[in-house]
Amino acid sequence: MRDTFLILKNELLVTLRNPFWIVRGIVQPVIYLLLFAPFLDGIANLPGFPAKSAIQFFVPGLLIMNAMFSAGFEGFSLMDKVESGFLERLRVTPVSRLALALGFVFETSVTLIIQSLILVLLSLFLGFQSNLVGIFVLLVLILLIGITMSSISFTLALFIREGGILAGIINTFVLPLMIISGVMLPLDFAPGIIQAISKFDPFTYAVSASRSLVTGVFSGGSIISAFIIFIVLAVGALVWFIRAMREAVA
Amino acid sequence: MSIIHTEKLRKVFSNKEERTVEAVKGISLDVQQGEIFGLLGPNGAGKTTTMRMLCTLLTPTSGLASVVGFDLHTQSKEIRKRIGYVSQKGGMEIVATGRENIMLQAQLYGMSKTEAAQRVTEVIDRLRLSNFADRKVITYSGGQRRIFDLASGIIHTPELLFLDEPSTGLDPQSRARVWEEVVGLHKAGTTIFLTTHYLEEADALCHRVAIVDQGDIVALGSPAELKRQIAGDIIVMGFDAENKIEEIRNLINKYERVKETQIADTSLHVFVDKGDQALPVIIQLLNQRGITPTTIQLSRPSLDDVFLKLTGRSLRESEASAKKDR
Repeated sequence: MRDTFLILKNELLVTLRNPFWIVRGIVQPVIYLLLFAPFLDGIANLPGFPAKSAIQFFVPGLLIMNAMFSAGFEGFSLMDKVESGFLERLRVTPVSRLALALGFVFETSVTLIIQSLILVLLSLFLGFQSNLVGIFVLLVLILLIGITMSSISFTLALFIREGGILAGIINTFVLPLMIISGVMLPLDFAPGIIQAISKFDPFTYAVSASRSLVTGVFSGGSIISAFIIFIVLAVGALVWFIRAMREAVA
Repeated sequence: MSIIHTEKLRKVFSNKEERTVEAVKGISLDVQQGEIFGLLGPNGAGKTTTMRMLCTLLTPTSGLASVVGFDLHTQSKEIRKRIGYVSQKGGMEIVATGRENIMLQAQLYGMSKTEAAQRVTEVIDRLRLSNFADRKVITYSGGQRRIFDLASGIIHTPELLFLDEPSTGLDPQSRARVWEEVVGLHKAGTTIFLTTHYLEEADALCHRVAIVDQGDIVALGSPAELKRQIAGDIIVMGFDAENKIEEIRNLINKYERVKETQIADTSLHVFVDKGDQALPVIIQLLNQRGITPTTIQLSRPSLDDVFLKLTGRSLRESEASAKKDR
């Protein structure tokens, strides 16, 4: 446990030395927020639009989207660690692989929470209204998504070790999952076939839960589903990553 | 007492699509406590793979090994506590300071924060790193960084220190500095196992050397012993490209004092008894045919000559072709 903390502390120190990483991580969501959300203004007046304003509709999804991609691309940081020999330097010490894996994953969680808070603050300036308790619960969900995505990304990085291929895999899988989850536009506007497929996309439940939570509605079925799904996925992905670290691939 | 003992240690890498590569073909060796032992060979010979197996970073495909008295297969954690390893890349986090880097390492070896801080300062002072210990690693020169890599390897006072190509890529001055520190560590009681493709390094530092080629040990002994395998002297002659080096070789081979000849690039290596007396005769032989070498060197055998004699290739040549393969 102490080792996990040591690794976490070191990783955070490294991230803080180079805040560019946090900033780079949220450039894309901020661009969406500033340039895409206004497009929705016109659509928000259409009948069947599920929120009272565009920003109210878009921000909860954006937070989920940020968690998917920001954590999903964390594998690259692990590739750097392999490349620089840093991971190897740690691996010859008696530190447990569990501590290493947890240290790396928790660091991405902290970064993700900071990013999410920055996005929420920025949105408040743009007229976003939110329930405080709802945001807090949402951050827990974001944390679970972050653990899921970063663990998967780290594990892939250990097996693949080639940046281009990793980026390809993540984009190929995460982008469609993001789109059909209804982050960009309401699912009600989608054709029936996509609505049907989206039922199998875990992020559909996360986005839906996120939209309920920010309005202070805690009773929706999607919230419970989202938490159950992502607790299972987070644990599964984390165990997968820990096992990959144990097998000493890098 | 042997601090490293291996029996037919072997490593096969297999990629799904590609062919399998037998990187290490059953290496058996013993390293004694208190010596500086070197694996010498060209890039791709299997030196690093062997070292990484002994450091618990790579699981051997087959074979037995014990390191610092513990079994490599079942007691890797015990081994890790007692060995230090400095990889070619070093593995410093470049935006952190040198001190922070080795502080983390010290704490991961189980030292408390105060113990670690004390030990880190001790090592920094001993290796004379204090001038830049609190600057970010990214600002270090190659040499400064290398000494810090060494510091990270010895922070927990290991019994056995592994150094992978300790001076590759360094300028001569930094290399001398690294050698000086390696000798210092050895004097302080650390057994050192290193890999190198520099003959001078093996010659200058190692008590015993295993010459490795294509995953196998081709010779093992002290540098002096190895060189003694080549009795006599070596005459190295360079020729212009238009001279047919094969013909010259055949010509020289007829001279009874010549024991062996080897061609490396455009030069001819002639192994002879009493080189000082043989040289004038050889020059005369060549002159009779109107051949004049562009360069002539008479020398005592070097480890490169040992390598050449054993493998038929010079180290530098193997080096060049290994690079081409990549």
